[in-house]
Amino acid sequence: MLARMKADRFMLLIAPAVGLILIAFAYPVFWLLLRSFSDPVWGLHNYGTALGSFIYLKVLWNTVSIAGSTTALCLLLGYPMAYSMVHSAALVKKLLIFVVLIPFWTSILVRTFAWMILLQPNGIINDMLIGIGLIDAPLDLIFNRTGVLIGMVQILLPFMIFPLFSVMARIDTSYVLAASNLGAPPVKQFFRVYLPLSLPGIVTGSMLVFIISLGYFITPALLGGRTDIMIAQLIEQNISEFGNWGLSSALAIVLLVGTGLMFGIVHKVFKVGPDVRTT
Amino acid sequence: MKKFTKNGTFAMDATDAEMSRRTFIMASALAGTALSTGLLTSSPAHAALDLKGREMVLASWGGSYQDAQKVSYCDPFAAATGVTVIQDGPMNGGKLRTMVESGQPIWDVVDVTDIFLYANAKNDLFEKIDMSIVDTSRVEPAFVHENGVGCIVWSYNVGYNTDAFPGDNHPKTWADIFDVERFPGKRMLRDRVYPTLEQALLADGVAMKDLYPLDVERAFKKLDTIKDDVVWWKSNSQSQQLLTDGAVGCGMILNGRAYDLVKKGGKVNISWDQNIQSIDFFSIPKGAKNADVAQHFMNYMTLAENQATMANIIAYSPVNPAAFSGIEDKVKPWLSTNPDNAAKGMVISGAYWRDHLDELTERWNQWKLT
Repeated sequence: MLARMKADRFMLLIAPAVGLILIAFAYPVFWLLLRSFSDPVWGLHNYGTALGSFIYLKVLWNTVSIAGSTTALCLLLGYPMAYSMVHSAALVKKLLIFVVLIPFWTSILVRTFAWMILLQPNGIINDMLIGIGLIDAPLDLIFNRTGVLIGMVQILLPFMIFPLFSVMARIDTSYVLAASNLGAPPVKQFFRVYLPLSLPGIVTGSMLVFIISLGYFITPALLGGRTDIMIAQLIEQNISEFGNWGLSSALAIVLLVGTGLMFGIVHKVFKVGPDVRTT
Repeated sequence: MKKFTKNGTFAMDATDAEMSRRTFIMASALAGTALSTGLLTSSPAHAALDLKGREMVLASWGGSYQDAQKVSYCDPFAAATGVTVIQDGPMNGGKLRTMVESGQPIWDVVDVTDIFLYANAKNDLFEKIDMSIVDTSRVEPAFVHENGVGCIVWSYNVGYNTDAFPGDNHPKTWADIFDVERFPGKRMLRDRVYPTLEQALLADGVAMKDLYPLDVERAFKKLDTIKDDVVWWKSNSQSQQLLTDGAVGCGMILNGRAYDLVKKGGKVNISWDQNIQSIDFFSIPKGAKNADVAQHFMNYMTLAENQATMANIIAYSPVNPAAFSGIEDKVKPWLSTNPDNAAKGMVISGAYWRDHLDELTERWNQWKLT
């Protein structure tokens, strides 16, 4: 009887969330799915275009490779940062959290324009490097893949740092001490003990950054070069310019299924997912 | 549905929102008859169409442009008719199409580009302009479409940074923009297939009058020659940033955007040679609730004084030539429909792009990726 009441109360509590997900996620996806097969006529032609033409394949590849590079760079920069945050004094920790949060306070557009000013050939960074004699001619830092990655990594870094931070904060350092006592050198301590324990944070952060990157639009458009087209740009173009809902839907579904597959693989390989707590 | 007001004119019942346009026009016509038969003694033109209490939504592009539209068109219209004009936006093709498909557009007037209007008129996206309400005779014929009335004209110009090119030896034509030996350094063009193909062909020596139909192969071949010397801009703000910072020395910029930079002290100038004019249209989404009000709004927009106000605020050129007498002298040299400037340029062909935008955009994406 009591258990029954508890279950009812639980259902009541999750009802709003489930309802929201159904309305805000499941329905639109179903609608996209339907249109990808039915617009303008029933059939697989939209998927034929999305997966059979040079443009869309190339852009899908661009998207995956930009998202992948962004994730890897975020991890490289974010891991030591998160580690420092966890293992620093309370005041420094607060300061570091504040620093990581700052980018959230300005819009993506403003930050992207700021990067344009910093990175261009006669921008501050190149002027400085030339001024101190490190280089003779300005580096190509913008309107190419380098620019896209600099901009995206800066914007997405917090999404890597915070999951890492929360997992690392819960790692019991006595494990590392134990490894040390048993004679493991520092490098081995890290790779055999600390790294595996922080793996859930790595997976969560990487998935977050990767998935958010897949849909990026403004930053690659403004900082990228001629060939740095991501799939979101083509989806937008197809919808607002041509009203081609069928093809846009198919592209969105391809992206969704691809992400889902990757998610599944990660889950299988690492036995952890973004929602799994192992401590 | 209809009732007499105190002064004897027919008036729309304010609560009667579903009254059809035809009935409304009939009511106006009846009011007109009443006027001519002497039932009414004095009444300004708009009193016959009592729009008081009605509403209308304008969807435009936001920012200083829409602010200027509010002051130039909406406020005078509201003052004269009692209509409340609601500002909305930004205009978005996908959103507009979805609204019209659902049968309930919340926008009554949309600001669309010529290319968008021509490409989508065939998809039945817009109401027809009621020429009995909108006096299109005061507008240049090139700026009137069955489904829209031009509101401003702008142009794609050759622009340059005056620090990079001081003195007289600066890029003047599209051929100069494509000449990396005479004018070295990065240049900028817009990341769109139009009017980039036009610019490439003009650069390759095709005369303005022989441009359409475009020789696509020749255009892409010409573009190949400067492929890696170009920064492709995606937004107008970006083009301003690039040119005024000197990240590029020259390239394509919209006349209004260059004027904006110069006003703020930017070291930028433009050439009017081979300028390619383009038009923003006001259109009414198919099935718009207040389409009747919208027709009257469009008529108001074309009035010379409103067109002049617009140009004085933001230097976009009027579609009504009579507006020029009300435009300040310092603004005139920057306007695309100023006869001196218009004579040096051409109007982009909306009809050509209506038929070729899809395939050429596909081709454009492909070209960019290789």
